[in-house]
Amino acid sequence: MEKILTKKSFPLWVKELVSYKIYAPQKNGDLWNFETIKKPESINLDFPNTVLPPKNIIFPQREVLLEFESSNENKLQVKETLPDDDPTIIFGVRPCDAKALTLTDKVFSGDFKDPYYWKRRNSTVLIGLACNIPPSPNCFCLSVGGSPHSKEGLDILMTDLGDKYFVESLSEKGSTLINLAKPLFQQPKAADKKAVEKTQAEAEKKITRQIKDIKKIPSILKNMFDSPLWDEESLSCLRCGICTYLCPTCHCFDINDEVASSSPVKGKRVRTWDTCQFPDFTMHSSGHNPRPDRASRLRQRIFHKFQYFVERYQNYLCTGCGRCISKCPVGIDIIEVLDKVRDYGS
Amino acid sequence: MNGENKHLTHDNPFLPEPARIVRTYYLTEDVKFFQVRIVDMEKALSFNYSPGQFGMISVLGAGDAPFSISSTPSRPGLLEFCIGKAGTVTNALFRMKENSLIGFRGPYGNGFPIEKMKDKDIIIIVGGLGAAPLRSVLLYCLDNRDQFRRVSLLHGAKKPAEMIFREEFFALKQREDLECHLSVDKDDTGKWTENIGVVTTLFSLLEKIDPVNTYALVCGPPVMYKFVIKELVNLNIPKDQILMTLERRMKCGIGKCGHCAIDYIYTCLDGPVFTYWDVIHMRELI
Repeated sequence: MEKILTKKSFPLWVKELVSYKIYAPQKNGDLWNFETIKKPESINLDFPNTVLPPKNIIFPQREVLLEFESSNENKLQVKETLPDDDPTIIFGVRPCDAKALTLTDKVFSGDFKDPYYWKRRNSTVLIGLACNIPPSPNCFCLSVGGSPHSKEGLDILMTDLGDKYFVESLSEKGSTLINLAKPLFQQPKAADKKAVEKTQAEAEKKITRQIKDIKKIPSILKNMFDSPLWDEESLSCLRCGICTYLCPTCHCFDINDEVASSSPVKGKRVRTWDTCQFPDFTMHSSGHNPRPDRASRLRQRIFHKFQYFVERYQNYLCTGCGRCISKCPVGIDIIEVLDKVRDYGS
Repeated sequence: MNGENKHLTHDNPFLPEPARIVRTYYLTEDVKFFQVRIVDMEKALSFNYSPGQFGMISVLGAGDAPFSISSTPSRPGLLEFCIGKAGTVTNALFRMKENSLIGFRGPYGNGFPIEKMKDKDIIIIVGGLGAAPLRSVLLYCLDNRDQFRRVSLLHGAKKPAEMIFREEFFALKQREDLECHLSVDKDDTGKWTENIGVVTTLFSLLEKIDPVNTYALVCGPPVMYKFVIKELVNLNIPKDQILMTLERRMKCGIGKCGHCAIDYIYTCLDGPVFTYWDVIHMRELI
């Protein structure tokens, strides 16, 4: 379904969606992030890349898995704390961040489905916004099989055409939202479709960064496990982990118990984001650490994204959002690292 | 992963199932034995697993951690663990008395390829706490003795006081259908009657083997593998018949949290049993 929605009508559409919990990019100081919206007219879809991708709405940085209580030896109560499945809409999802969810979907599926992830995932509708201008100077989605107007993982894709949006429904979930405010949507004209095509073609030209010959990278990496490159590239790493915390595809987590009282034992089991960039991520309780240094941890991040995940799931675990480059405090640049990998292979 | 063994809390794999510690005692100064029964009787009896699989034990308030199952599925109803004092969870476990309640979830991992091992010779090589997972497969072979050909145990400990399941393994020496060799690196008691030397010195005592029809099962501290594998390769045992059960830091046990990821595999789903062939091709495994 393809429709036209004027920018004037946009808040009216949002008003019809009040039965949903609505997230949209919000500016706080200088930083943009996805936050819940109270007033429909406060949604501003003219934003650069958000600091965090919307992954934390589906997979929160901290979430309670269960609550436990044990008053004596004969009593142990464990209560699962599944999230509620309130219908949720996220406005302004960038195509790279939507594609990232299709990748984490693979991890949280399989023989053991993650009920916490899927409860939120299934109740959320993703409304994307095509990037007419790259939201970050480090965008490189074209290199990893994406595009600034990719529909992958989205329920609706909106393209800004000046005073109106070209709105494309991509799933039943998406069509339902459009049908809730049918009179606001107009039939697109041939000129509108042309305008979309033109905007999209121009948007692709504006992306300047790229990983050249990326198809060769996985096989080159296979022979680079012991390369000195990992030592050289990781020398400046501070082990802060921001590259992974801000990554829309990184999904590693830790599980810990938080105790509120010790007698009776009462508390919560909590999962929090974790990162392969921390030294104790792989540390055994014996003290043995199979991944003991910065070099092996940087190698793990690069290999996981461009070799291991490709082998297991036939996709790069990277959607080219550029956050890890923009936010690294010491300027480790994944594109430059992969350039050196390619040079190594030639 | 072993799809036949249905997981205990299937709808939410993160939920631990209440289980009771029915027996616990010290095996050595810092290793304790735990016998555990799942509280729900129906689940306790229907719970099935393969030798070499593991489970996550929860001490609520301290956390949960992965442990090899040391008992054999051929003796259903009770689960046994052999646990070294090392981190937060094990320290809390050590303080728990008999009759206390813990949480258990599992079984996880691939386990040993029992079907392939049938009608073959089995050599089990244990170093120290490596007995925890290998006791399961050893007892399984003995309980189903007619399904396997020769069964041998080579067991090494640092010193007599550090040998776990000492009486049990000494008793096995009486069996005529098992070749059992025990060793300690050093005898500080003067009373040790068996071999003295690292576990690899036991290979010279082993009767001549039929390498092509032999499966060798190894578990011990990381440093042990290099030396033991060298011996096994010298005996011409094929690389894919040398099996190791490895350990890795884990948080979820179900292939999500990323801690045990090595190469494109997860130790918790695709391991913890690997062949020497895997170890050659997947670096960082040990």
